[in-house]
Amino acid sequence: MATTELPLPALPEAHHEEPGGIVDYLTTVDHKKIGILYIFTAFAIFLVGGLLALVVRWELASPGLQVMGENTYNQVFTMHGTLMIFLFAAQVTTGLGNYLVPLQIGAADVAFPRANAMSYWLYLFGSLIVFSSFFVAGGPAAVAWTAYAPLSTDQYFQGTGMDLWIIGLAVVGVAGILGAVNLVTTIFRMRMPGMTMFRMPLFTWGVLVNQLLILFAFPALTVVFALLFLERNFGAQFFNPEAGGQPILFQHIFWFFGHPEVYIIILPIFGIISEVIPVFSRKPLFGYRAMVFAFFGIAALSFGVWAHHMFATGLVYLPYFAIMSLLIAVPTGIKVFNWIGTMWRGAITLSTAMLMSLGFILVFLIGGITGIFLASPPIDFAVNDTYYVVAHFHYIMVGGLLYGMFAGFYFWFPKFTGRLLSERLGKLHFWLFLIGFNITFFFQFLVGLDGMPRRIADYQIERWASANLISTVGAFLTGVSVLVFIWNFLVSIRRGQPAGDDPWGGNSLEWVTSSPPPSHNFHHLPEIHSERPAFDYHHSPAFAAGTDPERNPDRG
Amino acid sequence: MPSRRAPATRWLVVTATVLAAAGCTPQSVTEQGQAIYNLYNLFMYIAAVVFVVVSGLVIWSVVRYRRRDDELPTQTHGNNKLELTWTVIPTVIVLFLFVVTIQAQDKVLDSSGDADVDVTVTAFQWSYRFTYEGTGAEVLGSPGTIPELVLPVGQRVRVKLLSADVVHTFYVPQTLFKRQAIPGTVNEFDLTFEKEGLYHGQCTQFCGLQHTDMTFRVRVVNQGQYQTWLAETTRRGSAGQPGT
Repeated sequence: MATTELPLPALPEAHHEEPGGIVDYLTTVDHKKIGILYIFTAFAIFLVGGLLALVVRWELASPGLQVMGENTYNQVFTMHGTLMIFLFAAQVTTGLGNYLVPLQIGAADVAFPRANAMSYWLYLFGSLIVFSSFFVAGGPAAVAWTAYAPLSTDQYFQGTGMDLWIIGLAVVGVAGILGAVNLVTTIFRMRMPGMTMFRMPLFTWGVLVNQLLILFAFPALTVVFALLFLERNFGAQFFNPEAGGQPILFQHIFWFFGHPEVYIIILPIFGIISEVIPVFSRKPLFGYRAMVFAFFGIAALSFGVWAHHMFATGLVYLPYFAIMSLLIAVPTGIKVFNWIGTMWRGAITLSTAMLMSLGFILVFLIGGITGIFLASPPIDFAVNDTYYVVAHFHYIMVGGLLYGMFAGFYFWFPKFTGRLLSERLGKLHFWLFLIGFNITFFFQFLVGLDGMPRRIADYQIERWASANLISTVGAFLTGVSVLVFIWNFLVSIRRGQPAGDDPWGGNSLEWVTSSPPPSHNFHHLPEIHSERPAFDYHHSPAFAAGTDPERNPDRG
Repeated sequence: MPSRRAPATRWLVVTATVLAAAGCTPQSVTEQGQAIYNLYNLFMYIAAVVFVVVSGLVIWSVVRYRRRDDELPTQTHGNNKLELTWTVIPTVIVLFLFVVTIQAQDKVLDSSGDADVDVTVTAFQWSYRFTYEGTGAEVLGSPGTIPELVLPVGQRVRVKLLSADVVHTFYVPQTLFKRQAIPGTVNEFDLTFEKEGLYHGQCTQFCGLQHTDMTFRVRVVNQGQYQTWLAETTRRGSAGQPGT
């Protein structure tokens, strides 16, 4: 069969065939191991953030302060948001990107393996700095994850916890920028011959656009943290109106980062869904180019919509931010319709990865539609900062991100480990998650419409009680579903069914190498003729004739 | 404390709430909020259609196009006409929603009419001060004493919103309207209450330790009662206690 010589970067020889011991993981520059480190770290943080969410739901289950005082409650929901948004959501997809992008473009590693390791370790230590704030006097930050000034300045919120929060997150931000330079360079410079941009898998496209967004958005976050740190510690007055500062400035810079952050989180997930649905529909992705353009459309618009988080300030030009925000529905809609187009007249297998992807489309649809409501300033006046918004963005973040992430886990776990996750436990996981998730957040729309503000430790209004109790039950059910996943992982990693190279009939290049891939990813690479090199290869006459002894037969 | 209603009643209340609230926000009690209520409902009708169509297509594909054998389905890569259709239709819907948004917004934010009552609301950690301009009447709250904003029905009330410390909001759910109180900035908006009653209000922008306790009430009364209350409160002066 035809193979292509790979341009191999000069890696330290010592790392090539070492077993994956602890020392190996501590010193590795292999993108796959770094990807695994990212995923495990992010998932561990997700578990802590999830426990904090359950504590929040426990407190809100009924009116009155039963579990903790207001200060603790404020710390708990602040750290829940902080861990989930900054330290989990954007990082777990970076981990998947780290592992998969070089494989999908036929590269031996990323462009800068050492910088890649450095960005992981900066991320880990930045996260540990944030965690260390739990152990200082006064405890962690309690100003919400958005940390609006002037509340977050030294005048209104003292304590080392807040400074550790700023420092830790700034370090994680720098890690993100470094990682983005690496992944963007990898995608532009390391593609194997024949892998043109328009033959790249959609997941790689999603990661490319997501990392480009990081390059433009994270510096804004670094800036706003720098300003806040200077104000807290060195007497700067950026946000103090009495000294000529402007509190609203904080919101502008923060959301200039904050809204693209939503797409930083969700674009790789769109990529995952765009990989899973074609494979389990046995059809190519419908409208490939439109899907790529939709990524860029979303990315470009995402920098023009930040002030829809600020409609209620009365200080932004409403029509501009309204129309820009509404328009994001168009490229997003294109994606959903193209996924349906892919399934249409396909041959659909309802594997767990596929179920998670379908769950993603349905919950993301609800998250997206309610986002249209919020893009309209008058409606936003009514529901901004209520539980309606909480429900909306959890439909995007939990619904979108987690369904997509789990779809990715079930889809690529065989590639990472050589074993399949249990489909039986996977389906239990899926249904518990679907039911628990919707019970949790659907009822939050209702109390939100009824006027329940977010970020309150208690409520006196009796008619909010039932919905809150139901929401709490749903949250614990969701927690159980995650336990089922962890159980599935622990069982399958030891006793899971052997996966072979290509258990699903995959499309992209990672499915032609072994599971797990060798340290330099490929021994042989097929020629690239389309955006589905593995599919082409596995349906080629040479493969069918079994003339390539190194390959397992296609199970399809 | 939660009341000990029978579970059956509670579930009935829940079901009723779901059915009622799934479609609409609470009715607005102000003229300005009525425009938001109508806009929300219009969005809701369109959203419901979009949701039913899209989720219906997803469910239909899954049910209809299950894999039955090893035969590879026709390998279609796209369809320009279809793709153009599902780009143009959402664009048209979105532009329509933009136009109705702007129309509603103009009604909500219209402050061209002369105000009948001018109130300055100063938000602070963690309560509100209501100052009735030109009368000397003032109501000062604290986290322990919920302040009450007494207003006349059918009159255009111009609220001048300030903050003494951090960012807060002024939000009365039944007006379907809120506005941030930002230190160093004066925010103005009009409310014309159309129904007498007692309405719950609360800060929705997280503002520190006792954010939870930052509530207030709006009592909308008829013109006669309002004048009586105003005269009484003015007589008691700026240290006036919250209305009862």
